[in-house]
This record gives sequence, C-alpha cells and structure tokens, in this order.
Amino acid sequence: MAHFAKISEDNEVLNVVRLSDKNCLNAAGTEDESVGQDYLFSHNHWPRHLWIQTSFNTRNGKHALGGTPFRGSFAGIGYTWDPVNEVFWSKQPSPSWSKNIASGSWEPAAGPEPDLTAEQQSQNEADTHFWLYAWNEEAQSWDLQNMKA
Amino acid sequence: MKKEILSEIAIYSGEVEPPEGFEINRESLALDVLTFQAKDSKDFPFSKTLDVLNTYLREHINLKYRFQLISKNIRGTAYKSKETSFPLLNVDPMDLIHSADYTLLYGIEVEKCSVRILYDDNRNTGRVRALPLETNKFILFPSTQTYYIINNNRANSLNFIQTIIYESI
Repeated sequence: MAHFAKISEDNEVLNVVRLSDKNCLNAAGTEDESVGQDYLFSHNHWPRHLWIQTSFNTRNGKHALGGTPFRGSFAGIGYTWDPVNEVFWSKQPSPSWSKNIASGSWEPAAGPEPDLTAEQQSQNEADTHFWLYAWNEEAQSWDLQNMKA
Repeated sequence: MKKEILSEIAIYSGEVEPPEGFEINRESLALDVLTFQAKDSKDFPFSKTLDVLNTYLREHINLKYRFQLISKNIRGTAYKSKETSFPLLNVDPMDLIHSADYTLLYGIEVEKCSVRILYDDNRNTGRVRALPLETNKFILFPSTQTYYIINNNRANSLNFIQTIIYESI
C-alpha cells in the first residue's frame, strides 16, 4: 500500500490518500512515484506534481520497522512540504524547537528527550505508573511526569 | 480576567483558486443548473467539475479552520434580473438533530448579487449582515441562519448560484 499527500501550490498538505501497490508499479514491476502521480492525476483532477509520496512508517526521521526513513514524517493535513530538502514538516511543536534537516524532525536545543530507566519502563508495562518526558518550554528542559499520579 | 465563548455565528468567505489549468468549469456548472431547474429534479447532476469544486472547498476549509464537511444536498439556482429569493432556511426547525450544519453559496456566474443573512445578537433580533456574492467566490454560514438573495443583474442575464448543504464533523 502506498500513500500520497495531496498538496496545494503553497506546499500545504490538503489530504493524504492510500493507493494500491499495483497502481504505483512501472513496466518493470517496481514501485515508481510518477506512476502513482499519473494515476492520482487521472482520477482526482489535481496536478501530477502536487501529489507527493509519503511513508506511513516514518515518524520524526525514524522508520518504525527499521527501514530507511522517507521524507521526514508521514504527512498529515496541515503539514508543510519542503521540496528543497524533501521533508514533510509538522507544525513546530514549541517556539524554541528548530528543524533538523538531516533527520527531518523538529528538535529542542536541549536535545532529544531522555530514555526512561528500566525501572520506569517496567512500571509503565505493569500499568502502575505512566512515566513520560514532557517538554517544558519555560525551563527549556524535559520534565519527567507520571501521568497516573 | 477571562473570556468564554458559548456559541458563535461564523461566516466564512473566500475565492476558489485551484492550480493553473485546473480551474472550475463554470460554464458546465451553469448548464447543469439550468438542467436541474428545467427538470425540477431532486438530485443535482453529478459532474467532474462539481466534484472538483466540492473537494476543493471541503479540503481547504478543513486545512484552514479544522472542521470537516460532508455534503448532504446540492442544488443550483438561476436568478433572473432584479429577482429576490424567498427567505431561505436549510434546516427543519422541527428536526434540528437531523438537519444540516452549514450552507455554502458559490457564485458560478453572478453580477451585482448580495446575500442577506439574518441573525440575532444579545439585544436585537432580525439583524442583517449583507455580503456581496461574486463569481468564483463562496460564502459559508450556519444553516440555522435564514437568508435571502438579492439580484441586481442586467436585464438580459442570469445569476447562477450553487448551493451546497453540509454536515459538519
């Protein structure tokens, strides 16, 4: 199954559609974005170049199944397509976060959120606690919170 | 000090601006309006142009204002010169729960056309907000508002207006 983002001329994502694999295969039988664009153009009356393939399994520059991340993040309505860097950007999570072009994700100056300790993870799994790190914009740091407290 | 909005009557308006080369075929829509009126049909003829228009409006409103629209009913009207519509209301006051949420008016081909939307404010009832409806522009407002359309077009022309009634989710 392939996914395509329908974008406006201002590069805003208007919609995301799902396309059967067979509608994206070229004559050689390999997946080809331009074949999907042709199919969507002929069925939706929207220009070919405003259909951009997106990966369902890519979030914040990481592929959930261990594959190669594709275009930053899975597109969503309201995301912005960056044609220069080939990345779908979500809305800026907090005013201080900046774009990491290489990974295709937003990052705070304080760095990515710390990992939970083994104990915290086991408590989450046992459902006695629900530990997570939440970004504190005022303090510019990650705050550990127990959502079950 | 804080402010809380309990309800609002929002009117959205704008222009339909698809990418170049993919403009709305308004001539075809106007023809469909005439067919629809002549046949006194219940269902407005489906066409690619209508679908492009409807999709454009729904997607852009969702992008900008974050609510999704589902079309419940579509109709088209050709107004003669100096014709004023009856007061129009697109809800059933006795069955509001199954009634539509929004009314959209799109100017297929219009000249000197004005939409008068009636509303109440805190003190007065029957206030009127008048908005011009122009070719290739739209006005979206809650279906619970009564409205009427005033046409001051030339004697030998018709004003073509598409009405789409939406449910909101």
